[in-house]
Amino acid sequence: MEQLDLGHISLAIGFLLILIGFWGLLTQKNIIKIIVAFTILDTGINILIVSLGYIVGKTAPIVDNSVEQLENHNVVNSIVDPVPQALVLTAIVIGFGVTALMLAYAMKLFNAKKTLEINKFNDLKW
Amino acid sequence: MVTPIFIVAIALGVGFSIGVLNKLGKNFTGGLVLAAITFMTFISYQWFYAFTFGEQTPTYVYTAGFKPPFSINLLMGQYEAIITLMINSIGLLGGIYMFNSLKERGSNAQVVYLILIMALNVIVMTRDVFNLFVFLEISSIAIAGLILLEKGTRSMGAGFKYVLATSIISSILLIGIIFSYFITGTLNVDDFISLSISTYKGGAIVVFLIMIAVILELKPFPANGWGLDVYEGSDPGFSAIISGASATASLYVLYKIMAFAGVEWNYYISLIGIVTFVGSNLLGIKQENTRRMLGYSSIGQVGLLMVILGFKDILGENTPYIFFGILISHYLAKAGLFWLSGIVRAKGLKEWAVIRKKPFFLFLMGTFIFALIGFPPFPSFFAKWTLVMDLVQSGNIVWVAAILFGSIMEAVYLFRWFGYAIKEENKHLEDFKIEIHKIIPVWIVAIALYGFGYFVSQLTEVSSTINFIPFAFVILLFAIDFLPIFVKNTVAILGMAFYFYTIYPQLDNFRLIFEVIFIVGGILALIAGYAYKGKREGFYPVAILMYAGLTGIIEAKTTLEFFYGWELMTAGSYFLIIRGHRSMPHGLSYMLFSLGGAYAILAAFGIASVGQDSISMSIINNIQYIPTWAYALLIVGFLTKTASVGLHIWLPGAHGEAESDVSPMVSAILLKAGVFGVALTLIGMGAENNQYSVLAYTLGWIGAITALVGNLMAVFQEDAKRLLAYSSIGQLGYIVFGLAMMTHLGWLGGFSYVINHFLYKAILFLTIGAVVLRVGTHNMYEMGGLIKRMPLAFIAVLIGIIALSGVPPLSGFTGKWLFYNAVLDKGWYLQGAIMFFSGGIAFLYLWRLIHTVFLGQLKDNHRTVKEISIWFLIPIYTLIVGILVYSAKPQWILQPLAEIIAPFFPSNQLVWNGGTAISHYGNWAGTMVMAIIGIAFLAVLGVQLISTRKAHKVKQFDITYAGERPERPETTHVAYNVFEGLYKAMWPATIPLVETFWNKITNYLHDTAGFTRRIYSGNGQAYMLHIVFFILVTYLVIIGG
Amino acid sequence: MLKNTLIALVIAVLAYMFYNVYNTYETRTSLSGVAEYYATNAAKEVGAANIVTSIVVTYRGFDTLGEVTILFLTASIISFFLKLKEEDENKSIKHGITSELLITASQVLVPIIFLFGIYVFINGHLTPGGGFQGGAIIATGVALMIMANPNIRINNHVIHWVESISGVAFVIVGLFGIVLAGGFLDNRISGLGEFGTLFSAGAIPIIYSFIGLKVGAEISNILNKYQKSQKEL
Repeated sequence: MEQLDLGHISLAIGFLLILIGFWGLLTQKNIIKIIVAFTILDTGINILIVSLGYIVGKTAPIVDNSVEQLENHNVVNSIVDPVPQALVLTAIVIGFGVTALMLAYAMKLFNAKKTLEINKFNDLKW
Repeated sequence: MVTPIFIVAIALGVGFSIGVLNKLGKNFTGGLVLAAITFMTFISYQWFYAFTFGEQTPTYVYTAGFKPPFSINLLMGQYEAIITLMINSIGLLGGIYMFNSLKERGSNAQVVYLILIMALNVIVMTRDVFNLFVFLEISSIAIAGLILLEKGTRSMGAGFKYVLATSIISSILLIGIIFSYFITGTLNVDDFISLSISTYKGGAIVVFLIMIAVILELKPFPANGWGLDVYEGSDPGFSAIISGASATASLYVLYKIMAFAGVEWNYYISLIGIVTFVGSNLLGIKQENTRRMLGYSSIGQVGLLMVILGFKDILGENTPYIFFGILISHYLAKAGLFWLSGIVRAKGLKEWAVIRKKPFFLFLMGTFIFALIGFPPFPSFFAKWTLVMDLVQSGNIVWVAAILFGSIMEAVYLFRWFGYAIKEENKHLEDFKIEIHKIIPVWIVAIALYGFGYFVSQLTEVSSTINFIPFAFVILLFAIDFLPIFVKNTVAILGMAFYFYTIYPQLDNFRLIFEVIFIVGGILALIAGYAYKGKREGFYPVAILMYAGLTGIIEAKTTLEFFYGWELMTAGSYFLIIRGHRSMPHGLSYMLFSLGGAYAILAAFGIASVGQDSISMSIINNIQYIPTWAYALLIVGFLTKTASVGLHIWLPGAHGEAESDVSPMVSAILLKAGVFGVALTLIGMGAENNQYSVLAYTLGWIGAITALVGNLMAVFQEDAKRLLAYSSIGQLGYIVFGLAMMTHLGWLGGFSYVINHFLYKAILFLTIGAVVLRVGTHNMYEMGGLIKRMPLAFIAVLIGIIALSGVPPLSGFTGKWLFYNAVLDKGWYLQGAIMFFSGGIAFLYLWRLIHTVFLGQLKDNHRTVKEISIWFLIPIYTLIVGILVYSAKPQWILQPLAEIIAPFFPSNQLVWNGGTAISHYGNWAGTMVMAIIGIAFLAVLGVQLISTRKAHKVKQFDITYAGERPERPETTHVAYNVFEGLYKAMWPATIPLVETFWNKITNYLHDTAGFTRRIYSGNGQAYMLHIVFFILVTYLVIIGG
Repeated sequence: MLKNTLIALVIAVLAYMFYNVYNTYETRTSLSGVAEYYATNAAKEVGAANIVTSIVVTYRGFDTLGEVTILFLTASIISFFLKLKEEDENKSIKHGITSELLITASQVLVPIIFLFGIYVFINGHLTPGGGFQGGAIIATGVALMIMANPNIRINNHVIHWVESISGVAFVIVGLFGIVLAGGFLDNRISGLGEFGTLFSAGAIPIIYSFIGLKVGAEISNILNKYQKSQKEL
């Protein structure tokens, strides 16, 4: 049994959220709920990204007094990985864009058929 | 040179500024967007030019001024230059095409389009996986937005499904990417390659996640319902962009990822590709909606390209040639078809008949379809050829079989569609409007297809030897198609005559016989064309296309040239056949059997090239790898053209329904191409080589049964042209049988039949065809007594059937005599007996041609018909002279023939003594026989004339009716259903077993397709489930438990 | 039922697959790969105290350009997707009066929120935050305004001008990088300034300000479109 540190815990939570998201995507019939499931999935992934940058006992990657006091001004040994933090920013923005688009779709789809049941939108098939 | 970063800068600069510039109007912003794309195209063209014609080396573009992996970098290499050029050019053409539909949605839509094209460029160039993810997302969002260019709930539904599907895919991709960073500490593709990421702990699964996401972007079967909906639901102009630009970029991403995924992925990529190719094309045959069908085809083609990428290590340095050959054809042709579908505005396949109202559009449609299937001269033809050769040579025959099967399925639905366009009733359909900005892109891609075809053919040594002069002549005839028949016919005849004159000295005697049949016969058949009036649009290009193919197979020095000619001939003859009335189903079955045969030949050529250092035609004389299979494939392939039993069902309809002067072309002339092929194959097998005796023996039986079935079926026909068509099947059976004996006498007999069949079948089809033109019906019971109106036609038919039936004194007997000598010599008594019996059956139907058509009572409505046209009489009587000469002096032809055959089959069985042929069983002198019979005939005729000179002539109306009016007038015709008794005795032999067999196969395929496609339920959630399921199954297969 | 079982099975296998991914994780104790380089060199090469910012704006600035593009794309798509018909556009619906509390609070808070947003993106290179965060904060101000007064008419022209100019400026500053420094989006087009102060890190504060304005404008635009699309119902 591995030691359960913060990295493992947040990673597990991330995957759990992803699974919940997938479950929601595959089972919920209401388009709004599907979109919610998607945002849960997205959040799960974002937690994954951040937790992969985690390094035990290190601080935020900003070079200020708090860092300079640590470990003889050695930034390398005092901060967590900054790259995932940069990536997650991008991922969040992309998730925002996709969600906004999905909501616009949901609104128009509802206007068209006055329903949000996803299985009613099967005009194109086979 | 302008750095490729400006592709991004210009697109975003224009894009971001449009929020302000839209005050200047939508035309301005639309023009600005097009100008930006033009500039982007120019940048990639510049690089493409430098790579192709200069010494340019691949160049990295570093952003932010730092070296990778610390910053994001782009790569502009040769492939990147080609692919971005493709994306930008189709983006430009598509932008022109969609100018109005984008404008209608406003400057925002115009900008989204511009950014989509830019994002696809970056996807191709970027070397950073996370950056790849970002720009993939940009393209996905842009596509999800542009689907909405088409208004209505359907496109909204499609768009939403697309968003859902791509967000699942990109989630998986993102998880893969972030873990790839975690295990390697970098995001750079080149680092992944140098560190070989898949060797890290967890590397395999990380690569799996990235790879499966990229594969899913390519819409693999069956996790692709969302993709199909997009193709069907969006604006056709935009579908063209998805198919041409987006799919191309995704393929290149796959290629990029493969560089670090490890070789074990190659196999799986090919596997997924082939399943997609075969699966999509199989389901495509059930489609009635054009755009969805094109979607199936697009997805299938991408599958084929995945197969090629998966085999890149095996295909080696040929990979780019094959890949781009197929990609370019698909990219141009599919864009063209989608654009056409937007112009024609026909949803159902049958509504496409409207395209005929503007014949030039039919030409464009044909160009695109033939390019997709891989006909010459399009790039896909050369690529497919090389692909099959390389795959066979590396021992992947099963893959070749699967690819060819998928191609046939694709041909099924594309040609059925094309058939509808050519033949379906279109009077009730409203003509479509043309907008100039929509046509120009279609023209450009069509021209580009021909241009690239020529360019690709010049790339390799073997394909550059192909003689394009005949094809150029076809193009010329297209160009002058607006002129009257008289001019075009003269040009065609002169052209063929001149070509024959130039080619004649290069041919050996064996090939010369066939060339004479093809070209001289062709000229004679064309002469009859003067009888037609008007313009006969489209006839001459396709007729000459067939002749170009025929002369191509004769001249072929390499297997590639042979196959090139074979495909041209198939295309040309397909168009000729489908011109006839009610010919649509027959045209389709002809095309499918021909393609099946062509693919068998292609596979056989591949097998034959194993272990050889060239692809010269002579390799089929010495096949080293599984030779029996190779020869069997060749024979099956050629037998589709000789319409041997089992593969004959296309012929009666195709020949029977063809135009009057086309029937002789496709019967007397075209069938000989199959004979030529069979002859080449048998020569290749060699006479003394016993290991193929089973093959020859089987072929003999096929010939015998074909002769029986063909003749028997001919007996029960009421339609004069179908009667002749079935008769052709039987006669070709004789030829195949003769050749299969693999003896000197057998071949001499066979060749004698080849010449004979050409002569009399041309006479009979021309004459009957000309009669049909005059009386307006094919049914024999509706004719009668025509001898009085058309004595010259009567004489021609009489001579034709005497020659056919094989009684002295005409040349048919020559063949029969040689035949029975050969049979006795070979010892094939049972088969020989069947042949003899079929010869007897032939009398039963031949008699009807004279008796029913020309003798008896003249019909009321034919009382004023004229003699058949002089333009038919000229070739007919020329051929009759040929028959008479050949009958009187058979040695003039048979002796040189014997010399031709002698090298392959030594001539110890037959000795010539002047004009007398001497075999073990007796001798025969044609001239003498003809003289004796002629004297006897004249004597009997004289006696008859003298003895009946006082007889009372019964006039037609010396008849009393009993006051009854028959309900079915034809039943009162003496010749109607005359063989009812025979039919009662023989009916088991006439059960259309073969048709039933092929129908069962067709139905089975349709049922499978109909059942399978129900997984595309239209429910977005089900599509997500498919995707997840696909991921998991692939995961369990590849990574395992 | 069958479908539910199938989905349960799918989720189970998915969980199994993720479990295998999870197993590749080992707790890290030190930086490696490119992160190590950034930690060592970002401060002196880029001059931003916030290493994440130096990555977002400079090292991976091209990604950031993509992000901005995504927001822009979404806003554009929503603009033409939710575009109202002429008669709907001129229709005015009267929303009920919102709570007094909300109205008053918004009058107090909105300027402060805007100010805070600007502060966040201007100081992006020094403190946590940056253009996206600042822009998002500004947009919450707009959201608050809309909620407090649903009948408000937000001036489209202002949003478009802000959005266009800041977007184009971002690209142009990026192009300056090619001319004046090492490449597209290089921030070293001017002196790096004194480390840790507001005017440092070259073009980063400028770029982040443009990004902040653009993001704020885009999101406000989207909010505005959503708000207006109610007229269609």
